[in-house]
Amino acid sequence: MTHFRKSTATAAVAVLLLTACSTTTGGTAGGGTAGRDLTAAGTYPIESLDPHGAQGATTGTQLAAQAIFSRLVRPDATGQVTGDLAEKWEPGATAAQWNFHLRSGATFSDGKPVTSADVVASFERMQKLDGPNAANFPDYEMTAPSADQVTLTAPAPDASIPRKLGLFYVIPAGVTAEDTAFFERPVGSGPFTVNRFAPSEVLAMSANSKHWAGAPQLDRLEIRTIPDLSARLTALRTGEVDVVWGIPDDQLPVLRGTSGVTVETVPSTAVFTMWFNSSSPALKSPKVRRALWQAVDFATIIKQLYPETGALADGLVAPPVLGYAKQEPVGYDPQAAKAALREAGFESGEKLRLQFSDAEFRPFVQAVASGLAESGVQVDVLEKEKAVFTKDLLALNWDINFQQLATPTYDAASNLGRLYPCAAGRTGYCNKELDALLAKAGASADEAERAELYGQAGQIIWRDAVGMYPMTVKLAYAWGKKVTEFTPDPSGLPDFSRVKLTAK
Amino acid sequence: MIRMIVRRLLIGLFVMWGAASVIFIIVRAAPGDPVTVFLGPDASREQIDRLTAALGLDRPLYEQYVSYLGDVLRLDFGESYRLGRPAMEAVLERLPATIDLTLTATAIAVIAGLALGLLAGRRPGGAVDRVVSAATIALQSFPTFWVGIMLVLTFALGLRLLPSAGVGTPAHLVLPAVTLALPFTAIVARLTRSSITEAMSEPYVQTARSKGLTERQVLLGHALRNSLIPVVTIVGLQMGALMGGAVIVENVFAWPGLGSLVVGAVANRDYAVVQAVTLLIAGIVMVLNLAADVLYTRLDPRIRTEARS
Repeated sequence: MTHFRKSTATAAVAVLLLTACSTTTGGTAGGGTAGRDLTAAGTYPIESLDPHGAQGATTGTQLAAQAIFSRLVRPDATGQVTGDLAEKWEPGATAAQWNFHLRSGATFSDGKPVTSADVVASFERMQKLDGPNAANFPDYEMTAPSADQVTLTAPAPDASIPRKLGLFYVIPAGVTAEDTAFFERPVGSGPFTVNRFAPSEVLAMSANSKHWAGAPQLDRLEIRTIPDLSARLTALRTGEVDVVWGIPDDQLPVLRGTSGVTVETVPSTAVFTMWFNSSSPALKSPKVRRALWQAVDFATIIKQLYPETGALADGLVAPPVLGYAKQEPVGYDPQAAKAALREAGFESGEKLRLQFSDAEFRPFVQAVASGLAESGVQVDVLEKEKAVFTKDLLALNWDINFQQLATPTYDAASNLGRLYPCAAGRTGYCNKELDALLAKAGASADEAERAELYGQAGQIIWRDAVGMYPMTVKLAYAWGKKVTEFTPDPSGLPDFSRVKLTAK
Repeated sequence: MIRMIVRRLLIGLFVMWGAASVIFIIVRAAPGDPVTVFLGPDASREQIDRLTAALGLDRPLYEQYVSYLGDVLRLDFGESYRLGRPAMEAVLERLPATIDLTLTATAIAVIAGLALGLLAGRRPGGAVDRVVSAATIALQSFPTFWVGIMLVLTFALGLRLLPSAGVGTPAHLVLPAVTLALPFTAIVARLTRSSITEAMSEPYVQTARSKGLTERQVLLGHALRNSLIPVVTIVGLQMGALMGGAVIVENVFAWPGLGSLVVGAVANRDYAVVQAVTLLIAGIVMVLNLAADVLYTRLDPRIRTEARS
């Protein structure tokens, strides 16, 4: 019996010791970050560092990629295209061909120079992997006329090429499509180099002293995945992380009341978009669709649910996006809405299917449904899993579709130009005049003309109430006292190479 | 004993086949298309067709099933398109964190549960018994995520004693392990208490007392050992459940185990990862149950005798 007791005790102690020892996998201990080190906790996990693969378009991979790799061009914090590896660029005779001139002196973190061969090989790798980013460049071809120049040729004029290239990252030539080992410790030409990457856990990086623009102010940058919002905010308050973002309104007062924490919001590129399925018999008439828009008191809903991170939208795309044009607001007028619905012969007994995907938007969608119900319009609120939502979205298996639509390229081409032509078939709405405007805007290399044309296109979409466009979204960021210079990014992809800290 | 183990292993093979078949059907019966989710809504028809063929999803279901079973027999669990690598590789990378968490939680639950059960069962109806009974009911009633948040607010934000989330040091393990262990502790404590209470009125305990042994010797040397049999069974069964409970705890504490991998895989219809995780957990649960049975026979000589005959 004594032997039995001893064995049990020994086993218990061994289990505790083993488990305690085996969790020491690196990372920072609780109690804060030190010196010129910064820890951030983003809103989405980083599951892969391969910017060309299946995860390439996700926010997590984009955030990592912009720290590790370079692009030809990139958007700045105001949405303007700025040079990264490319010093200058210009279209050819038509906007079907664009030439990019590479800066001299750009090197990878292993010291090898970045050449046009690397850029072309990266583009071909992205095309070969056929992931979501490749969908932006169907049948496009990149060539290298010289060591410091690349040319991208599209099958048809495409003025949005420079902005779309904000999603394209350059890696060294020779990394094959199948090479996943490279991305465990990738070599890039971005401001940081990778020390350790554990998918959905942590990306630990050091400053790249060989970066063409000079090394960042930080010595080390760690991006941690903390999926639970309250855990993320607690980590900020305890000093375990220095920067968090994507904070909902109800948490902002608490953070503002926390000593040493700075909170700021920045207008994002996202707009709450509620398409009507114009191919549905009940919603064929623009009068009905516009009446439904009038039936909801969006101003009050926004004030109640998003007092700091929402604003009544006055355009189809957000102000930082090229092609934004101010539209005449659709005011709340339930009486006029009821009259218009009666006049249009809208059957009040018919239930409209309102689909959305993310639980975060449930209160907003329910408030809209309740507003419509007050005008006699019955709505089935359908919260769907992402996989089901996407399938039904493409099959037009809905009457009203809610999405928070962002425009990460800062170009209306990837929003209006992509979603509203008849051929896109995304809303059941088709208008030849609109198609012509969007095609013309997409082909013009003159940005002023494009903005004007997208403005006209936006006016048609707004007038015909292809959807309701109730709210522009602001992104809330919060950072701790050791961060002295930080620029909140409208796309949720902060540039940590420009962050400055107090501690030495 | 060996015959029993071999028999259980053979049954286990059928269980694994059943688990593989059920999960194959469930993931494909779930609505939603993995290809559309992977590529996003802007993919062209050609892109969708190419990926559908690459994933073998254009083949008849029975063909997919036969090929899947063949692959599993060769220990090939397929490629996760989403993660761009073999599914089992991604799963095994996360498994140690979940095992760390589950084993630590089990150790805490068994040690604390046995201690509480002993204290309560020694004098049924006494003050200690009433306090322990109330505490165990409370521990089983509180939702795990709530307990986790309360512990974080108290020990990380309030007292600043422990880190709130993540991994890195043994201290990071404390809050998630305790959160996961608490309901399990209650189960072990209640079971131990009732077993001890029952054992203390058995004739062999009276015999031990009449031999002049102290109450402590009777309790620890005789009553406890016999009371361990149902506890061992429940520990074996509960460890499987703990791995399920770890999904929530891992999310609250940003613990990089199987939890977030599974949630992401299910949401994105990543068939290969869901199948690999399910089979691995089924295998682990099977082995744990087998270990519990072996331990059971070690603790209870009557079962050894039955097995021999």
